[in-house]
Amino acid sequence: MAEIGKVRIRVPSSIKQGDVVRVRALVIHPMEIVQRRDGKPVDKNYHFINKVVVTYNGREILAAETTQSVSENPFFAFTFRATEPGTLKIAFLDTHGGKYEGTVDIKFS
Amino acid sequence: MERTPSTSHITRRTLLRALAVVGLAGVSGPLLGPDAVPAQGTLGALQPEEKVEATMKRLFGGRPIKDGSSAIKLDIPLIAENGAVVPVTVEVQSPMTPANYVKHIYIISDKNRRPMNAKFTLTPAMGTALVGANVRLGETTDVRAVAELSDGTLLMAKREVKVTVGGCGG
Repeated sequence: MAEIGKVRIRVPSSIKQGDVVRVRALVIHPMEIVQRRDGKPVDKNYHFINKVVVTYNGREILAAETTQSVSENPFFAFTFRATEPGTLKIAFLDTHGGKYEGTVDIKFS
Repeated sequence: MERTPSTSHITRRTLLRALAVVGLAGVSGPLLGPDAVPAQGTLGALQPEEKVEATMKRLFGGRPIKDGSSAIKLDIPLIAENGAVVPVTVEVQSPMTPANYVKHIYIISDKNRRPMNAKFTLTPAMGTALVGANVRLGETTDVRAVAELSDGTLLMAKREVKVTVGGCGG
């Protein structure tokens, strides 16, 4: 549990200007599923990521609403067009108010 | 602490959490709009348990959904040994220009208790309309990918995935 919120982001090692870059991101998170007791769902504050926001130099490029039907330690892949060098930031928000961020610097080679 | 099932839903814990959420929204600034405030994870705030037809109706109303199997590439294993982790990649053929792009991609699995897996909101800055995620599947089921284009057209592709061990309690 100590590792909750650890974000890993992978981008290709060499990026040229204007390339469409494929990014893979992973966050360590339990993504609790609904517990049942006597067949009835237990009402409590389930701990799972319900929002993912990707920004590139401050501009939002992708947002996702996720549910508990997403795996434990969620993995996401997406692309973006690298028009300028900058910072790609991925923020994961969960139902307990947690915010886990990962950033990666995009440089052209 | 055992919590008694309260009908009011307002306990000290939920109240504190609500306050924490307000604080978070305050610092996250203009980037995350008011709709970015995380919903609480209590049962009432979760996706409802429903049949997939009800989900489709709730998400898309009565709007016609066209067959998009030629435009949508749904990359998903035919047989998933472990339903807890099923990699899905959805790619929609689209120029992704500000005039014509894919606005939303939904991943929906028919037989999950809460069929909607994820909803992605895309922008033209992405270059291609490609998203991937690992999802949970409760049992052998059809998986649908629905793309909503910027002009409002809905396209759908679906594929059956055989699940050996289900991975979904909820």
